[in-house]
Amino acid sequence: MKLIISNLTKTYKNGVKAIDNLSIEIGTGMFGLLGPNGAGKSSLMRTIATLQSPDSGTITFGDINVLEDNMSLRKVLGYLPQSFGVYPKMSAEDLLDYFATLKGISSKADRQKIVKEVLEITNLYEVRKKKVAGYSGGMKQRFGIAQLLLNNPKLIIVDEPTAGLDPAERHRFLNVLREVGTNSTVIFSTHIVEDVKELCNEMAILNGGRILKHTTPLEATKEIEGQIWTKIIERDDLEGIEKAYNVLSSNYNQDNTLNVRVFATEKPADGFVQTMGQLDDVYFIALKQDEPVVA
Amino acid sequence: MFSTIFKYEIKYWIKNPAVYIYMAIFSLLALTISAISAGFFDFITASTGSSIIVNSPMGVSGLFNGLTTFIFFLFPSIIGTSIYRDYKSEMHTILYSYPFTKANYLFAKFLSAICIVLVITLTIGVAMFIGFRLPGTNQEIVGAFNIMSYLNAYVVIIIPNIFLFGALVFAVVTFTRNISAGFITVVVLMFIQGLTAGLLSEEEHRFIAALVDPFGEASISFYTRYWTVAEQNELALPIKEMLIYNRLLWMTVASVVFALVYKYFSFSQNALSFSFRKPKAERTIKSNFGGVTRINLTKVTYDFSFLQNLKATWRFSNIDFKYMVKSWPFLSIVLVGLIIALIGLSNVGNLFGTPTLPVTWKTIRGASNSFSLAINIITFLYAGMLIHRAKIAKTNHLIDVTPIPNWVLLSSKLLALLKMQMVLLAVIMVSGLIFQISKGYYDFEIGHYIYDLYVLNFIHFIIWALLALFIQTLIGNPYLGLFIMLVISIGMPFLSLAGVEQSIFKYNQGPSFKYSDMNGYGLSVATYLIYKVYWLLGGLVALVVAGLFWVRGLPHSFKERLQIAKFRFKGASLISFVILLISFIGLGYSIYHENNVINPYTSSKESEEQQVAWEKKYKKYENTVQPRIVSVNVNVNIFPKELNFTASGDYVMVNKTSQAIDSLFLNHNSYPSTFKFNRETKLVSEDTLYNFDIYKLKQPLQPGDSIQLHFTVKNKENTLLRKHSPVRSNGTFMNNMELFPSFGYSGGELKDDKVREKYGLAKNKLRPHPSDSTALGNTYIAKDADWIDFEATVSTSEDQIAIAPGYLQKEWVKDGRKYFHYKMDSKILNFYAFNSGKYEVKRDTWNDVKLEIYYQKGHEYNLERMMNGMKASLAYNSENFSPYQHKQARIIEFPRTGGGYAQSFPNTIPFSESAGFIADVDDSEEGGVDYAFAVTAHEVAHQWWAHQVIGADVLGATMLSESLSEYVSLKVLEVKYGKSKMRGFLKDALDKYLTRRTFERKREKALMYNDGQGYIHYQKGSLIFYALSDYLGEKKLNNALKKYIEKVKFQEAPYTTSIDMVNHIREVTPDSLQYVIKDMFETITLYRNRIIEVKSTKLENGKYKVDIEFNVSKYRNDEKGKRFYAEKGEDSITYKAGKMKKPIISVPLADYIDIGIFTEEETDGKKKEIELYLKKHKITKINNTISIIVDKKPTEVGVDPYNKLIDTKSDDNRRKL
Repeated sequence: MKLIISNLTKTYKNGVKAIDNLSIEIGTGMFGLLGPNGAGKSSLMRTIATLQSPDSGTITFGDINVLEDNMSLRKVLGYLPQSFGVYPKMSAEDLLDYFATLKGISSKADRQKIVKEVLEITNLYEVRKKKVAGYSGGMKQRFGIAQLLLNNPKLIIVDEPTAGLDPAERHRFLNVLREVGTNSTVIFSTHIVEDVKELCNEMAILNGGRILKHTTPLEATKEIEGQIWTKIIERDDLEGIEKAYNVLSSNYNQDNTLNVRVFATEKPADGFVQTMGQLDDVYFIALKQDEPVVA
Repeated sequence: MFSTIFKYEIKYWIKNPAVYIYMAIFSLLALTISAISAGFFDFITASTGSSIIVNSPMGVSGLFNGLTTFIFFLFPSIIGTSIYRDYKSEMHTILYSYPFTKANYLFAKFLSAICIVLVITLTIGVAMFIGFRLPGTNQEIVGAFNIMSYLNAYVVIIIPNIFLFGALVFAVVTFTRNISAGFITVVVLMFIQGLTAGLLSEEEHRFIAALVDPFGEASISFYTRYWTVAEQNELALPIKEMLIYNRLLWMTVASVVFALVYKYFSFSQNALSFSFRKPKAERTIKSNFGGVTRINLTKVTYDFSFLQNLKATWRFSNIDFKYMVKSWPFLSIVLVGLIIALIGLSNVGNLFGTPTLPVTWKTIRGASNSFSLAINIITFLYAGMLIHRAKIAKTNHLIDVTPIPNWVLLSSKLLALLKMQMVLLAVIMVSGLIFQISKGYYDFEIGHYIYDLYVLNFIHFIIWALLALFIQTLIGNPYLGLFIMLVISIGMPFLSLAGVEQSIFKYNQGPSFKYSDMNGYGLSVATYLIYKVYWLLGGLVALVVAGLFWVRGLPHSFKERLQIAKFRFKGASLISFVILLISFIGLGYSIYHENNVINPYTSSKESEEQQVAWEKKYKKYENTVQPRIVSVNVNVNIFPKELNFTASGDYVMVNKTSQAIDSLFLNHNSYPSTFKFNRETKLVSEDTLYNFDIYKLKQPLQPGDSIQLHFTVKNKENTLLRKHSPVRSNGTFMNNMELFPSFGYSGGELKDDKVREKYGLAKNKLRPHPSDSTALGNTYIAKDADWIDFEATVSTSEDQIAIAPGYLQKEWVKDGRKYFHYKMDSKILNFYAFNSGKYEVKRDTWNDVKLEIYYQKGHEYNLERMMNGMKASLAYNSENFSPYQHKQARIIEFPRTGGGYAQSFPNTIPFSESAGFIADVDDSEEGGVDYAFAVTAHEVAHQWWAHQVIGADVLGATMLSESLSEYVSLKVLEVKYGKSKMRGFLKDALDKYLTRRTFERKREKALMYNDGQGYIHYQKGSLIFYALSDYLGEKKLNNALKKYIEKVKFQEAPYTTSIDMVNHIREVTPDSLQYVIKDMFETITLYRNRIIEVKSTKLENGKYKVDIEFNVSKYRNDEKGKRFYAEKGEDSITYKAGKMKKPIISVPLADYIDIGIFTEEETDGKKKEIELYLKKHKITKINNTISIIVDKKPTEVGVDPYNKLIDTKSDDNRRKL
């Protein structure tokens, strides 16, 4: 099933245009939505998840008109917000049973079965009797995935799920997500380029409420093949190089020298070495191109 | 750093719209209430009286302080949040690492919040100032602006209260990091305050009450309790010892609380927790490395059907229900409410220290009265907590994206609330049963409990729950929502003052129901339920609207919510809204139709205007002579099942005057009636509004001639909404004044002179002075009759007994109805009643007088006491005054729904079930007054003092009946129970007299010139006659009364007056005591006696010398309550000792005052007071010292130790040694 968003616009009361005439088509599989903080990722995802209504535009998922028939979408939707809380003093098992009822599972046996399953998938079965409010960050995120799975969703929206997770948790989380994503549409927002690279078969870069680039991770890196150059420079030279070249990123080395990455079709100067293009570079190129030109 | 934080906080509040909302709410409230009290709404509602200055220092402080009390409910979200906000926004993690001191942080936070509260409170004062002076208010009752009234209230009462409650809430919220904890603290404190106020209301506890009342109100009323109207209007707030101590005490408490906050507050990241289990420390290891699981979710069925949604509603309501009942705000309110309910129960119906038996209706009322506020508060609060529960827990985004319809969520919240209310009602039931068991009362009526609580009461709370859900859905903050609900629920009944009088316009208002053991809930339940169904529909309309506004997802403005609501307004919402609204309006209209069209509705404004028109139109006939009724023969048919009556009757009337009468003024009621005279008459004026018809006699009625009137009367058909007859299914009690016609202008004029002036009426003098010899033509009972012959036939259903005054001549059954024919053998006043009920009868005799009590089966508890009361009163009256005129005396029980009194008709005394039948009398020394006995004695005494001696319709007439009956009752009580039990009765009478006179709105006259006020003729009358019998001697007083009664009993006009009686008493009073007559009867004289110093020294002969220093002073009040001290001219005496700021002033003294010395003796482990010395001393100056030698070691000394005199401070008359 395809998610089709066309001409979506949302302006907040304070004048911020969170979504700016945005159109995109998203098919089955993992879709990574990459963008800096405040790019409009959450606004877009909340809008798709029926939590807020846009000023204009349409969203369809398969044959569901999301904005007009939000209940139909909710039946096939799994949503994990950026941050969420739970009712205190309730165990994971009880809470999941509650969510299962919310999602329309009528039979008690069914609920028990599926709750047990999602607990096992998310490796929470052992702590199912514990209060969710006392879970660690990673466990709570897994609980979020568990509740999301209860209605066997066709459209899954996860908003910055890996922020703040330790590497092991992150891996585990992404694996589960990947598993789920084989048969459904998973939209997954992040500002961590790594996440997208590892998982997504499609991606988009979002900033200022607009899609700057819609591509696949592979294609994206292919596109910049041979155009990324790197050089080790002294700290004091940075400003000069930034002026002269299209610098994408600069990182310190241990000896206080800097590694700069420059985007250029030709070798910019002596000392620059051609290097493999990375998704990060794509990301930075996209953001840079969107910057308003100061005359 | 202090100023930085402080400024930042103030800025935060200035930018916060909540502050302005609070200010708007409070100023609006203050404006409305002050405008109402100043008569702003007089143009649509009844006029506000003129005697009370609404902005007197007391008025200002009362209203100002009262309104401020509401703001305490907002403290949790203003003062409580000042630190909590930093936690909530998790600013504290950063903030607490900054370099400021604890003191800076805490003081800045606390003081800035307090400042905001002070500003909000200040707007109350400003709004009051404006409200009193709005155009259209009655400036007669608004005094000149006095800034001190506001300042005193603000500085002395309000600011300390804000500090105290602010500190408490600040402490609680800071440590628990839980706003609801702060809220509960406020609620609990208020409950406790109410509780202590109730417990400490007895006179001897008032000192303590004045100290411990955290609101300071008890310390004000400690001084102002007995202030007369004039004093209330003029005197400044008494900023004296008690108030100052109280304020100091509570400011200290506030400081201590704040100091504790300072001490224990630390810039730590975790809230203080009170856990009794020590957490086990455990090292946790994570073993949570990657791993890939295959996800293959089992197929389950998803069901989105209506039925499944209903099931889900139920399941969700259980989850919310559990959350509520396990939360500690709930538990603490229940606990406190329960304690208060139980304590409230033990005081239920306490009369003269004697409680009533814990019968079920009384127990339910007692428990639910105090508990229902708790139920409402919990409902209002949790309506908000549940609606915003997901948002508060931040789970809302997870829930909102599930395919659950809004109505399931909303109705699950409703259902959860209702389940909680059911639990709370069960709490009432359980506490009631526990209370009954503890009192040894085992007649459990579980069905009655369930019906009353789960049918009648429950629906009332459901209706509030519906509105609470609506308000809380619209308002994002549960505490603000709660506050608004409190204002609505408390303010709703007061809308009448603004001219909204009919209940169909006031949410959840309507007639209430009342239960009696005799006729159950009667018809009141049907009417009650109709109104409740009406409001239930109204509440459901609100619920549907709440559904439209239900927050799903993230609407960003109210405008957006409005759009969403419009979008949702279709399908089932639209249909149910329309159906509910139509039924609501339809039912409302039928009620309106019944009350306004079928039966004309008279608003209080209209009835005031009608009173005026009535007086203007007919007062001119007041003194036109009319024939007088000399004989009455009536047939009354009572239909208890149908609640109907029909009656017919014949009056024989005689022209007793010396002039011919040509017009008859027939004054009747609105029952369908027919009238026929046996002489030719012409109806020249018929008034269907006032039912005052004028008949012209063709042939004038010559002096001595008679005329007969035959009339029939019946009630209109009863409807479910309105009962048109006084008949009850059991225990009917109706008198001739409500049923039958009378003759002449019947009074009923507006009393307030200012209101009269407004309508162009002359000042009224209420009643003529007894010295006005032209005014003695009528008794105060009837204007159209003197003494009559009486005969009646009363019929009722076969299972009931019908009673009327007179002796039963014949009793028969015809067509399934029982008939009783009564005939009186002697002349009686034109004042009689009819009773009918399923009675048991207890019989006895006293000499040859037959005594009967007609009572409800099950109410046997006090029959013996009532019999004894009859006998004692018959004996005392006939021995001391004159023989009993009847051969029979009957007491007839009637339901409490008809009132809680007893009333004496000729040989017949209807007696409310709650006036003694269920009294739980304790005969021990500590027990209260046996009022079953005392009330009976009083009513029987009326057979003399009303039915033999009846005063003319002038001032002071009720002294001859009520005060004398009360005197007899006291005397027989004294004979039976001894002097010591009298003190309780007298103290109670004194307190009631002094308290109730402060509510006098017209004028208070001396006893012998009283206007008929209960507090004068009962309470003051009983005190005075009891004291008089002490001064003159009982025998001497009674002999004077005997002589008086012999002179005036059964007299025809001109009738006797209080002057006549007082003259008889004066005659036997020695010269030295003549001042007593003046003090007691002719003036309002109040004493202020107290012991100053007492010393006891043991003498060589084993005796004790007691040195007593005491003050005696007295003052007089004029009829408005202004004090004066002179007998004539400027002869008042003064006394001023060294340290006194102001001298004591007194009316010149030559008074005889009891000086008593007491000791204690132990008999059988019980301490008993023994009189060592009691003698009247002649006192001529204010400050006195005397020495008295007594035989035993004294323990207590007193001046007027038995409180026989009217003393405005009776608790300092004794001093323990």
